[in-house]
This record gives sequence, structure tokens and C-alpha cells, in this order.
Amino acid sequence: MNTQRVWFAFFIVLALTLNFGFFVGEIDNPHHHNPYEFFFALVVSLIATVLKIGDRSHLGAVLLATSLVADLQLIVAAVMWGYATQVTGEVSVGVMASVVSLAGGAMLANVTSVVLLIAETIQLKR
Amino acid sequence: MNTNTRGRPRIRGAAMWLLLLELRIPLITLIITYSISVLGLVLIPGVTPEGVVYHLSFLDAFYLVSYTATTIGFGEIPHPFTPSQKLWMLFVMYSTVIAWLYSIGSVFAVLSDPAFRRLRFYQRSVSRIHEIKHPYWIVCGYGGAGSQLIRFLDQSGVRCVMIDSDVTRADAARLSASSYELDILVGDVAEPQTLVDAGVQRALCRGVLALTDEDQVNLTLATNTRILAPRVPVYARSSTDANTRNLRSFDTEVVVDPFRVAGRTVTQLIRKPNAFALYHELVDPDLNQIEVVDVPTSGHWIICANGRMAETMVEAFVREQIPFCLVSSIAPVDQGDWSWIQGIGTEAQTLREAKIGEAVGIVAGTSDDGDNLSILLTAQSENPKLLTVARRNKPTSEPVFGQGHFNFVLREGRIIAQEMYARITTPLLHQFLGQLEIMPEALVGGIIEKLNLRLAGERPELAHFDLTLDSEQAPGVIPFLQTAMAPKLGDLLVDPGLDYPGMPLICLLLIRLNGDLVPFPGEGLVLAEGDRLLLWGAMGADRRLYFLVRREDLFESVLSARRLKST
Repeated sequence: MNTQRVWFAFFIVLALTLNFGFFVGEIDNPHHHNPYEFFFALVVSLIATVLKIGDRSHLGAVLLATSLVADLQLIVAAVMWGYATQVTGEVSVGVMASVVSLAGGAMLANVTSVVLLIAETIQLKR
Repeated sequence: MNTNTRGRPRIRGAAMWLLLLELRIPLITLIITYSISVLGLVLIPGVTPEGVVYHLSFLDAFYLVSYTATTIGFGEIPHPFTPSQKLWMLFVMYSTVIAWLYSIGSVFAVLSDPAFRRLRFYQRSVSRIHEIKHPYWIVCGYGGAGSQLIRFLDQSGVRCVMIDSDVTRADAARLSASSYELDILVGDVAEPQTLVDAGVQRALCRGVLALTDEDQVNLTLATNTRILAPRVPVYARSSTDANTRNLRSFDTEVVVDPFRVAGRTVTQLIRKPNAFALYHELVDPDLNQIEVVDVPTSGHWIICANGRMAETMVEAFVREQIPFCLVSSIAPVDQGDWSWIQGIGTEAQTLREAKIGEAVGIVAGTSDDGDNLSILLTAQSENPKLLTVARRNKPTSEPVFGQGHFNFVLREGRIIAQEMYARITTPLLHQFLGQLEIMPEALVGGIIEKLNLRLAGERPELAHFDLTLDSEQAPGVIPFLQTAMAPKLGDLLVDPGLDYPGMPLICLLLIRLNGDLVPFPGEGLVLAEGDRLLLWGAMGADRRLYFLVRREDLFESVLSARRLKST
């Protein structure tokens, strides 16, 4: 067992699970979407991105790309949410729906990541 | 899977990749400390001056952590902190500032790491080389020959890519005053990948010049090039006969053995001073005048040399039947009917034994510059009329050798550079030099006389160039070929000005389309399409000639003027 691989898989899967936890619920209901969960989803996604740097294989490149997509979607969602709460002062139904749908997009990227990870693991015939 | 790796330069941007790899741990440290700090600030309740309990927003918390970590420190916002917030801020300050300094420190550590900088420099060079839009030559080894040749090529505007494994030599190349940009690659020349990175497989690569001091490396370079890029010619330096034969066995285009060339040059100076002068004017861009040294034909020479230099020198002297006496510390392997004296030659006694009083010249060819100087100075005081040939080993000794104290100085790097330069810039010259070696001395003397006649007493700087009679280079001449006008060689060598005076030019060699060689063609020779001419004369005459052969009307008037004169 390789500790590095454990952390690698741990963060990739955690990014997906947190993302999923935030995503589930009515799309425009702020009570169904915890900001702390969102915060952790973003942080874990960033860590996963950094961990993916350094693998120069083709699969590594695709993994890194999916992570970058997830980061981008989550950062845009965070900026939108922050702007709504701090500048306009209220989180409208439309803004909430956008934030959650952006997070949903990020989740899709994270799903791709996990699928690739599983596919790679299965290929290792050990 | 790996079959297509051949011919691809090393992945570009790998330096960036290395930087990111090195920064993985600092980056993760930074993310984790930031997130813990932000989270704590959001969770710990604050109190407004009015006594209302509130929580910092994520935006405020991130803002606060960012300016704390970077030690900017804007203060406590939006309201003065409570003791519990202050306690947490203490943690935030120490942890994030340390994490920040650690990551920034890592970035600078990686950036200033010599290996990383070398890699970055290497990659920049590789991508620059692969973007060159002009033909270029790859020069391997920046030693005496390499530096000299790069200087020659730079002067004539030929682009070069240089490879050397030594960092200090690469720095020397970078600092040398060259007018064109020289691309430098610091890498092992014997590695095939370095050659690929230097662009050997690009269509613009004109040739590889293997000029390192080690025969084995030059041989490896030649074989690697043969396989990686079969169409790219290789010019190699070789210092043994076995290595020369080896290189020739797989058709290395040009092999230059500096020792053999030295032997040939010195005997040429003695037996064929005209050919010697012509050769040096043609192959050395620094030498723009014809200087024929007057050498007495009778009398013996003293050769002070050891090792390979002694062997090749003796061989050349025996072949040309020049009487000589060898002074060397080790007895020659097979001594013919010539005399040998043991010694170095630095002492007057040894030189007197070699009958210095009756000698015409002396060759100081040891591998030590100090010894060579000592030999020549001693010899000159013994016999002031002596002709002196000095061998200069180290380029740093040039200030003493270049003073003009000696009749001729053999410089290994320069010998190689001259031989190769001539063949790189003017392909026809290569064939002419082959002819020159076997040409009788009287004929060469005649040709120099002919040029002097055309120069009419002036002593301009001399240059050579070639011209091909085709629709691209000479569109003004083509329509008259194979007509009744029958343009002759003499018609080209006419200044299209008033009275049509002769141009200070002569033709050294003409090659017909079918490969026939005509050395020193007469002016009455009828031209044909596809003829290639090697011309030689005053610098600047080439531009007037190119002007003439491009203009149909001008050339026609030259032809009719010639006809008028003859009738």
C-alpha cells in the first residue's frame, strides 16, 4: 500500500462527496445548501488539484483537467454567492439556483475524475 | 508506443512542470492553513460596538487572512475583535505568515537552483532553435576550432547552433562578440537526444560540424547524425588516420585532420608558395590579400616536433622531397635516409648539430607553446635569415605568436576552421581546392598574375563567390545562350559602365551541368545554361556582376560592344 496513493484517492473522492452533499436538495432553497459544506468542497477540490500536478502521463493530464474544471466552477459559484450576500445584500432564488447548478457542473467533473481513478485502478492487475 | 519518440525534441515546458512539482507541498500547506484560518474566523462569534453578536462572512474572513498572511495587516474589521477572536487571530498570524514565507521561499529556491536554471535555459534554446526560419549549421564543441569557425560563419551571416557540454565554454560563447544571435545548447554532444534538440532533423539544418577535441566523440556524432538525419552532411575533425578511415567508411562528407593539413600546408609553403598564398586567401575570411612568401628552393629544413605532428610533417617532407633534419626527444619509428637528432631544440647546441647555419627554415611544432617560442628565438639568433614556422597550441598564446615575428603560424583551430568554412560558404570552392592541390605551381602563378593584371596595380581586398547560370540567378544571360551571340566567359567579366572596362575578377573554376570541371577557364570559353562558376577578385565586384547578369538589356549591350571591338 502506498500512502501517497491513499491521500490521492482520499482527496479526489472527498471532493466528489462534499460536492454531492452540497448539491442535493431543492435547487433554489438556501436552507438545503450549507455554506460550510461548500467551503470544504472548494478547499478539498483545490488540494486535489495540487495533488494531481506532477503526473505527466496522459491519464494524469486528463485528471488534472477535470480538477481544474471543478475548481473553476466552484470559484465562480463562490464569487457569485459572496457578491450576492455582501454587495446586493440578499440571496435571491435565481442566484441560489445558479450557485447550486454551478456546483452541480463541478460535481460532474469530479465524477469524471473518480471514474478515471477507478478505471486506472482496475487496470492495475495485482 | 515508443516508436514515435525518435525525432521529437524534449517536452517543452518541462521546467514549468518541475517548478509545480517542487511546489506541491508548499501549495497544499498554504491551502490548508488558509482554510483552517478562514473557517475559524467565520465560526468564532464577534460582537459589534452595540453589543450585537455576529459572524464574519467568508469574504471578510478570506480578506482578513489574505492581508495577514502577506504581512500587510490592515487591522481589525469590520469591528474591533473580542478576546476569543484575538486568540484565534494569533494562531492565524503565525501559521499563515510562516506558510506564506515557506511557499514563497520554495518558489525562489527552485527558481535559483542551478539545475533548474540550466533546464530552463536549455528548453528556451530548444524552442528557439526549432523556430529558426533560416538555414543553420550545428557546431559541436566550442574549442579552438569551434570558436574560430563560429566567428568566420558569423561574419558571413551563416546562422549557427552551438552545442558544448562545458558550461564555462558556453558562457564564453555567449559573451563573444557576434553580430548574429548564436543559439547555445549546454548538453552532452555524444547523446543523440542533444542532437535532436539542436534541430538536426529539421529541413533547415544544413550540416553538423563535429569539432570536439576527442575523436571518439566526433565519431559518435557522425554516426548519430547518419542515423537520425541521413541527408545532413557531417564535417568532422579527426586526429588519427584510423579514425579518419573509420569516418570515411560511412561517407562522412568532410574529414579534416589538422596534423595532415599542417604537414601539407608547410610543404606547400616551401614548394608551392603561389598555391599556398591562393589557398589561404580563399579559405580564410580574415586574409584578404595575396601574399607570396619568397622561399629558397634549395637547403634543408629543421623540424622540431614530437608524436603525431612529427610523423605527418616527416611524411609530407619526404613526399615533397624536401631535405630536412628532425629534432625530437623520442626516436622515430621508421627512419628513412634523413637525419634525426635527439633533443627538444630549445638549446642552441642541438640546433647547431642540426646544421642551423646552413638551413633555410625551421618548423617549431612541439605541443608546448613555450618550447616553440624558445626554439624559434634561439634559431633566429643562430641564423637570422631563417624562415620560421611556429605552431601555436593554446589560443591564449595568440598575443605572442600573432606579432608577426614568424613567417607562418600553424594554429590548429584555425586550420580546421579554414578547411571547413570554405566548404560551407561556397560549395564550388570545395572542388576547386581539390584541383589546387594537384595543379602545377606555374599555372597558379599565372592565375595570380592574371588577377594582378586585372586589378591594374591596385590592392583591393579580395573575395570569392559563385554564380550559377540559371533563370533564377542570371535571368539576363539565359536568353542569349545558344544563340548566334554566343556569350563567352569574358563577357561576364566586363563592367557594364562607360567603355566597358574589364572587371577586377577572374574565374577560377567552371563546372558544366554534366559535371565536367574546367579549372581556370579562358575568357573565350562559350557559356552554357546551368554552368556554375567560381569567381575571385576585388571585394564588391560580385555586386556589379550580379547586377549585370540580371539585366537583359545591359548584357545585350555588353555583347554588342564586344562584337564592335572585334570587327
